Amino acid sequence: MATYIPLFLLFLVAAIIALAMFTLTSLLGPRNPTPEKMMPYECGSDSTGGRFVKPSVKFYLTAILFVVFDIEAVLIYPWTVQFRSLGWTGLATMSSFVAMLAVVLVYVWKKGALEWEK
Amino acid sequence: METRTFDNVASLAYFAPELGLIAAVLLLVVWDLASPARLKIAGLVVISLAALAWSGGMGAYFLAKDAGPHELFHGLLAFDRFSNLFRVIFAFVTGAIVLFSVPPRGPGVAPELRRDQGEFFTLILVLSLGMNLMAASRHLLLIYLSLELVSVMSFVLAGFKINDARSSEGALKYVIFGGVASGIMLYGMSWIFGITASMHLGECAARIAALTAQQGKVPEVVFVGTACMLAGFGYKISAAPFHMWTPDVYEGAPTPVTAFLSVGPKAAGFAVLVRFFSDALGAGSASPAVATPWPVLAGCLAMATMTIGNLSALGQENVKRMLAYSSIAHAGYMLLGFSVFSDAGVAAIAFYIVTYCFMNLGAFMVVMAVAEQSGGDETLSAFRGLGRRAPLVAAAMVVFLVSLTGLPPTAGFVGKFYLFSALLTAGGAWRWVLAIVGVVNSVISLFYYARVLRAMYLEKGERTEPVAVRPLLGATTCALAVPTLLLGVYWGPVYDFVASSLSMLR
Repeated sequence: MATYIPLFLLFLVAAIIALAMFTLTSLLGPRNPTPEKMMPYECGSDSTGGRFVKPSVKFYLTAILFVVFDIEAVLIYPWTVQFRSLGWTGLATMSSFVAMLAVVLVYVWKKGALEWEK
Repeated sequence: METRTFDNVASLAYFAPELGLIAAVLLLVVWDLASPARLKIAGLVVISLAALAWSGGMGAYFLAKDAGPHELFHGLLAFDRFSNLFRVIFAFVTGAIVLFSVPPRGPGVAPELRRDQGEFFTLILVLSLGMNLMAASRHLLLIYLSLELVSVMSFVLAGFKINDARSSEGALKYVIFGGVASGIMLYGMSWIFGITASMHLGECAARIAALTAQQGKVPEVVFVGTACMLAGFGYKISAAPFHMWTPDVYEGAPTPVTAFLSVGPKAAGFAVLVRFFSDALGAGSASPAVATPWPVLAGCLAMATMTIGNLSALGQENVKRMLAYSSIAHAGYMLLGFSVFSDAGVAAIAFYIVTYCFMNLGAFMVVMAVAEQSGGDETLSAFRGLGRRAPLVAAAMVVFLVSLTGLPPTAGFVGKFYLFSALLTAGGAWRWVLAIVGVVNSVISLFYYARVLRAMYLEKGERTEPVAVRPLLGATTCALAVPTLLLGVYWGPVYDFVASSLSMLR
């Protein structure tokens, strides 16, 4: 137990510093709100519309497709590094994996999931 | 027999059923894109059934050859009679569901019923792959992954009626419940991993046994971890108090999906539950050196599940919703057999699952056949006068409902008989309490099943014209009713087969 006391102390100090910074700025800092300051920040230009925009579900679809092929790349990298030692078994395994994903890509393409405007 | 552990390449020969399913999934996707519109659905059904015949056939072949027990993929998967028996069961259930899901044809049929069928059959097949893996998992990581594979497919299938608010509501509730349950289960797994430093069930068992012997009781950490993992398992088999999603999902989902969820994933949940308790906790050993808390824990779950399921089913007007509560109650009966932790108990569960497949699938099939002809009406009023409007289907429904109640001469009676006999053979006051609660619950269940019988035969409906049931549905219903009756009078060979498949699990 005693081994962990420095760790707890570290957490405690970190929490105190963070809390103190927020409390002190809100207590001591000068406050001078103007309508301009209260506007949502849009890189300096006047803001248009509300702050809450519903993102289109297409972003989600594209993102999940990106993740699928991203993970494919992640799995291919170590194989390329160990290409020689894995030999034909590795090649066969990776080929079947990529072939499956190729079918998936054809499916996604044909179903129109890659078309943004439809 | 010595258990052999195979590496990845050598495992493939024993993994052939699942490889077939994976190939079929890819083929379905391609067929969905490339086939002519006229042949599309026929092709989807043929491919699915061929893959399931392969998977179930290979399972039966392995059983007949008495192959195994082996460990595949460096100990990730078990290959034994237990997993092969469940391969056969899952292939049968999924095959019935595929037939069940063939959409009606003809000019009067709403086009949305024939839409997205490629995806539908693909998801069904992936689900059956996940169930196969669940029954074979011998590693905490793979238990979690296969459970999630089944869950995610179930979420999508439950929400398959895209523009139906109830379907979407059910699917969303399912997702939220599923997320929480698997989170708690993962937490429990981390406790088990924390104390055993292994995720392989066999190594966990050795470590837990050593700790138990050392401390003279089951370590608290193991108890907490197991209790948390029960949340995940209990969610899959819809045991109380993790059953809340069941009625909404079952009511909202398309009827074939409901039938599937009430049988397939539930059986898979029991398979993984039994394997975890016997392989990782050694709960099945005949003479435990120290008293374990598992029988009491499982018994409490069983009592709560049965009672809540049956009492909630009493007031339901919607037959599909009533069957949802009834399926909760049946999970409770099966948990009775589980709470014994003996070979007899496991055999009774497996045999009950076989009988439950026939009777529950059949009951849902009748609901679908009736709802199709009455504009999607699934309430009791659609069943009024069915005895005259569709005598054959009504007769089949009588068989299914009597069997679900557990009255002779039907399969449900024999299944329940073995459950109670396993319970009472084990003996002890606690088992007697459980058995009495189980019998009282069976009596309660008679009441709500009989309401459907009364509506079919004793009440007059608004409509009197005969119900035209599709030949495919009618034939499949009869094909399910026959074994439900047959197993009630001549069950010996099937029971012996199931029991011999399980007697060496551990």
